Amino acid sequence: MPAIELQSVFAAYREVDVLHDVTLAVAAGEWLALVGPNGAGKSTVLRVITGLLKPRAGMVRLGKRELREIRPAERARWVAVVPQELSVPLPFTVGELVALGRTNVRQRWARLAADDRRAIERAMAYTDVLELRERPFEELSGGEKQRAALALALAQETQILLLDEPTAHLDLNHQWEFFQLLERLNRECQLTVVMTSHDLNLAAEFCARLALFDHGRLAAIGTPSDVLHEDLLRETYHCDVRVRQESGRAPQVQPERQPRIAPPGVASRVHVLAGGGSGAELLRRLVLTGHHASCGPLNMGDSDAQAATALDVPAALEKPFSSLGTEALVAARKISADADVLVLTEVPFGPGNLALLTLAGEALDRGTRVLINTRNLEQRDFTPQREAQPRLRALLTRGAVGWQHADEVFQALEKS
Amino acid sequence: MKNSRILWLLGLLAPVALVGALLVGGSGTIWPDPRTELGRAILSLRLNRVVCGFAVGAGLAVAGAVLQAVLRNPLAEPYVLGVSSGAGLGAGLVILLGWTAYSVFALPAGAFLLAVITLALVYTLARQHGHLSRYGLLLSGVIISSVMSSLLMLLISLAPVEGLHGVVWWLLGNLQADSGALLMVGAALIAVALLGVLWLARDLDALTLGPEMAHHLGVSPAIITALALGLATLLTAAAVALSGMIGFVGLIVPHGMRGLVGPGHRRLLPATALAGGMFLVLCDALGRTLFAPVEVPVGVVTSLLGGPFFLWLLRRRRSASWVE
Repeated sequence: MPAIELQSVFAAYREVDVLHDVTLAVAAGEWLALVGPNGAGKSTVLRVITGLLKPRAGMVRLGKRELREIRPAERARWVAVVPQELSVPLPFTVGELVALGRTNVRQRWARLAADDRRAIERAMAYTDVLELRERPFEELSGGEKQRAALALALAQETQILLLDEPTAHLDLNHQWEFFQLLERLNRECQLTVVMTSHDLNLAAEFCARLALFDHGRLAAIGTPSDVLHEDLLRETYHCDVRVRQESGRAPQVQPERQPRIAPPGVASRVHVLAGGGSGAELLRRLVLTGHHASCGPLNMGDSDAQAATALDVPAALEKPFSSLGTEALVAARKISADADVLVLTEVPFGPGNLALLTLAGEALDRGTRVLINTRNLEQRDFTPQREAQPRLRALLTRGAVGWQHADEVFQALEKS
Repeated sequence: MKNSRILWLLGLLAPVALVGALLVGGSGTIWPDPRTELGRAILSLRLNRVVCGFAVGAGLAVAGAVLQAVLRNPLAEPYVLGVSSGAGLGAGLVILLGWTAYSVFALPAGAFLLAVITLALVYTLARQHGHLSRYGLLLSGVIISSVMSSLLMLLISLAPVEGLHGVVWWLLGNLQADSGALLMVGAALIAVALLGVLWLARDLDALTLGPEMAHHLGVSPAIITALALGLATLLTAAAVALSGMIGFVGLIVPHGMRGLVGPGHRRLLPATALAGGMFLVLCDALGRTLFAPVEVPVGVVTSLLGGPFFLWLLRRRRSASWVE
């Protein structure tokens, strides 16, 4: 029988839905990590399990019983929680704080019984805060505070331990220390552990299973190797990642590296032929990586033109909303004359900007390298005779190189 | 254990302080002869006054301790949060309308009603942005407090001349309760409310960690918060009905006691009650003797002592993070 079970749970803060149809079971003695981008609903799942947030629909069970039927005092003997950061505004010492874990175990006015003392001592011994017992909590370091907060939760002697980003404020060393501590508790005390984590690699290293959340839905659940897939992560986190899996080890996730800053002297002069916002991101990355960028012709007010101005990139400009005229073309020829590379972006073609192709052709004639974006060619040819496509293909056969992702442009720049 | 020994010590000190205060009066520090009519009268007056002072001091000090725990704000106090001013407006209304003639309960009831409204106002104003901000609470307390005081001043300036002296004298804070019956009712209310908060001591400990942690520890934060705020308001209202506006007791005493017995409320609340009672009785003895035969209202004494003490406390505690 699972220790925690969520069945088609929907939850909302005021009117904003945060969990959609989440079904999830956590076995007794399991260690599950809830992962996913910010706002995906991981913390909300914890809040639902602790009863802080009542689900709009669906059912939450702890063991055999429904959560809503469990009285608060009894729930505190079943589920303990370690918050992201415990704040204690009054000068409690660590010992006094950990004793609060027994709040609902003993009678209202009873002294600490032998059982209580044993639980408190054990919790402090496990978390290694025995020597800190006389120290005021607020004077502890971040790592010590988090261990004391864990001791408080352990003193409740529950079957289930929930942690919300428990190591978010800790440095690398203390993160590992804390996770190893959890590992011991999970293995030796058969504690069921559910935690949210931003650190996919730590979670993969320690947890038996991961549950990946995206926009309030459970996107995937399973072993780290099942869940940590490049495609899935790219979709949920909206960034390129690589997953390395060495045999016998937990998979490691690494964000795809952005191109390095070009060392001085290696920087290329890159002229960008763009329009309609198709070049802004490329210009930004070129400037960030230390290349000398220029662009144009562009219509004034075009978002690429605005990006060029903001980034201090020299640009040949034409009046707003008009075809690229000879004057702008001459200016563009001038600033692109000593470019090492011309890059044509994923720009939509119409009769007004076919001149871009002329410029690219001239560059090829000069022996300058030309990179042409080849994505969705058909869909962005708005010329009446569909002449942009054949002209682009002609350029490609004449030696221009096709590209689809910006990374390819930077790889090409590194080669030159 | 050291902390519990301090509690015993306070328990032993309290009767000594009370008897000591009985000896002190505007007429000099002599034990009046209980065999004479005059002696009995003086003794009874002094006894009333000492009991009143002890009840009010205990009530205000514990109200402060409870507010600090529930609102998680070490600077919270009935006077600072405007609860006293609210109670004062309620009591002033009752006095000026002459309702005190109907029932001894009129004064505490009026004080309680307005005090509850005031605290509710301060709380909602401070909660405007989703959570209770430490400084928002103090700011709205100061503002609501001055509004309530201004309303009381307005009432006083519109009131007929007779009875004015009573209100103003009462406002300054003095421990000579109007009648024995009022003293009984006020002291009984304070005693009941004290027992109530003592019963909540364990939950108050959990609440200082914040409503969510309290929930995780099995305490229902909404219920306990409402109960504790209600009881703190009752303590304040009864104290104000008995003695008018007396500030700083709820700030000085709990802070001092936390240093002595720690922040756990099972010890802190009894210690605060005892120390608060003694503190006010001693302040009153000072007020009676300092410029004898002229009396200084006890509210003036506590503020004169409390202000510098609070500043000293603030400076000393500045290094500790819980007084930012």
